Amino acid sequence: MTLAVMFPGVFVLSLLYSGFDRKLHARMQRRVGPPLIQPFYDFVKLMNKERIIPAAASPSVFVTVTALAAASSMLGASVLMTNLVMEASFVGDIMLVMYLVLMTAALTMIGGSSSGNPYGAIGFSRRVGMLLGYEVPMLISLLIVSYRSGLTLSFYDMVAAQSIADVVLAFSPGAALASLVFALCIPAAAGVVPFDIPEAKTEVAYGYLIEYGGPYLGLLKLAKEVTNFTLSLLFFTLFIYAPQSFPVVSAYNEWVNLLFILVGALAVYMVTITLPRTLFARMKLGQALRFYVWVWALSLVSAGLVMVGY
Amino acid sequence: MSEPKEIEFEYSRLVVPFGPIHPALKEPVHFKVTVRGEEILDVDLVLGHAHRGIELLAQERNILQNLYLTERICGICSHTHTTCYAQAIEEVKGIQIPERAAYLRALIFELERVHSHLLLLGVMAYEIGYDTLFMQIWNMREAVLDLFEEVTGNRVHHSMNVIGGVRWDLTPVMALRVSRVADGVEDAQRRIRTAFMDRTVKKRLVGVGVMSRADARASCLVGPTARASGLTMDVRKDDPYAAYSELKDDYSVVVSDGMDAMARVDVRVRELAESVNIIRAILGRLPPGEIRLKESPMRAVKVPEGEAVSRVEAPRGELIYYLRTDGNEGLRRLKVRTPSQANFAGIRQMMVGGELADVPVILASIDPCMSCTNRLTVVDEGAGRQMNVGLDELRRRRASTS
Repeated sequence: MTLAVMFPGVFVLSLLYSGFDRKLHARMQRRVGPPLIQPFYDFVKLMNKERIIPAAASPSVFVTVTALAAASSMLGASVLMTNLVMEASFVGDIMLVMYLVLMTAALTMIGGSSSGNPYGAIGFSRRVGMLLGYEVPMLISLLIVSYRSGLTLSFYDMVAAQSIADVVLAFSPGAALASLVFALCIPAAAGVVPFDIPEAKTEVAYGYLIEYGGPYLGLLKLAKEVTNFTLSLLFFTLFIYAPQSFPVVSAYNEWVNLLFILVGALAVYMVTITLPRTLFARMKLGQALRFYVWVWALSLVSAGLVMVGY
Repeated sequence: MSEPKEIEFEYSRLVVPFGPIHPALKEPVHFKVTVRGEEILDVDLVLGHAHRGIELLAQERNILQNLYLTERICGICSHTHTTCYAQAIEEVKGIQIPERAAYLRALIFELERVHSHLLLLGVMAYEIGYDTLFMQIWNMREAVLDLFEEVTGNRVHHSMNVIGGVRWDLTPVMALRVSRVADGVEDAQRRIRTAFMDRTVKKRLVGVGVMSRADARASCLVGPTARASGLTMDVRKDDPYAAYSELKDDYSVVVSDGMDAMARVDVRVRELAESVNIIRAILGRLPPGEIRLKESPMRAVKVPEGEAVSRVEAPRGELIYYLRTDGNEGLRRLKVRTPSQANFAGIRQMMVGGELADVPVILASIDPCMSCTNRLTVVDEGAGRQMNVGLDELRRRRASTS
């Protein structure tokens, strides 16, 4: 029930975060930037546009993946939000969320490759390469958190364990590396510069998104924005959020806490998504993969450190 | 460049159409890039999407009208084209422009080089996904464009040249503004240089699109593209025009031995500084006097029959005009050889063996100006046929319609 209520909430929050992202990005480039609610305008506009399915595409796959991608990403974010609001969760939900995030990426790729456009195919193969790079280190760093929280796979238990132990994982010796790994994976999972290789507009003309337009594009963009929201929320709650460490906040009720989480997640969004895409140039696939070899190594080192008790 | 190739079927081989509409291209051109995975196996080039028939049109109009027509060949180096055209006409007429006019032509020329190079550097930053640098560079470019508006009245098509001189004089107040913008450009040049030395930028540019010195010479490359391959060539030094013979000690020709996209960017960044030097020298030594020959337009179009070849160093390289007047206010033939046309000869050499991600970088590194280059192509979709229309064909069609 709460899950159903969360859907509109997640929708509004993700688009709002994306609006903040665009505004800050513009300000850092000395531009005025769009209004904060521009992503809402964009969504409404795209929803009202003509539906075009290319002749070379396989229509059923091309269309269904857009709705599925949007739904699975929204479900992932809603599970997290529900847990935080209800202060309860079920075993394995963190795996479900990661699965849904991966699912969103996979569905988008499949949609692109079903479009019959060579750029879609290139976008697909590039994304597969990127997935190999970031997906596993990301999971390893989550497992480290799980290990530190007493081997639980339920999201709220992980948050609560930190809360009780009163430890900010991002600053604890063993898990600091894990949080770094997760933070380094966020730009790739969000598909922003320097890791927007699969959809690099000057190279492959938006890659797997190339043939999408109108409502289909609107849904895929929504899926992407919700994924970004999910990732930054995950990072903040798992690595930084421990209410006892922030007495100013924990003195108030759970709604203030929730607001605190959302603001924190926004800050994570800015640092891991907006900043890199403003500061860096796009990498080539080979260069990005070489970078993620180091992230892999880092995640394994971090796992080792945690295992021996740091 | 485009002889049909025997390609044995390979499952992994993919022909990626790059253009005519593509986010990396600002103007229409079509590359057929054959790739295996990310590796480029072959490149074919199809021009002709923006053919405007300017050379033919020039034969219909009189000599004064053609001044404005040639200005519209290119929106970035408009002054370059009119200078080249005006020089050719002046040569046929046998007139010498006043010294002050020659200096003013050179001044606008260098400002145009600054604005063109800033444009390219911004585009380069955009191609490698570095939007912040792109915005910063174009912000500087705006100052130069505004200066153009103040000095000549127009941001893009300056209409500064007339046959026998220039249209507007540079007042002392304007000179002050120009020198202020020159200071700004010098400052920006240092910052841009630092930005392009950044590691993430270098990763995308170093070793990309290599063109050796011998190959560059064999492909007849021109301008910064050739200078980045170690060829010392610059029309301003080799065959001075406007006021460049008097300015030759105030700047040096920038040459690099890097031979890759990084070198081509570096040459342009350093040329910004050289252009600032020239602008300062012009402002310091601007001779007094008339800015154009006093001559009514009715007399200006009276040009005896004759022919002339004129060349200038456009921001992209050597621009050549050949024209033949008909002795009756018109032209019998106008032939324009733009620098991009010469530089396209090197494209295949630079791309093959590289990665697909390098295509926009290599393209931007030669700073192509598509609409300068276009020849007409007719596509017959029903028959699946495509042909380039030559001059004879155009003549035949023209005869049948008129």
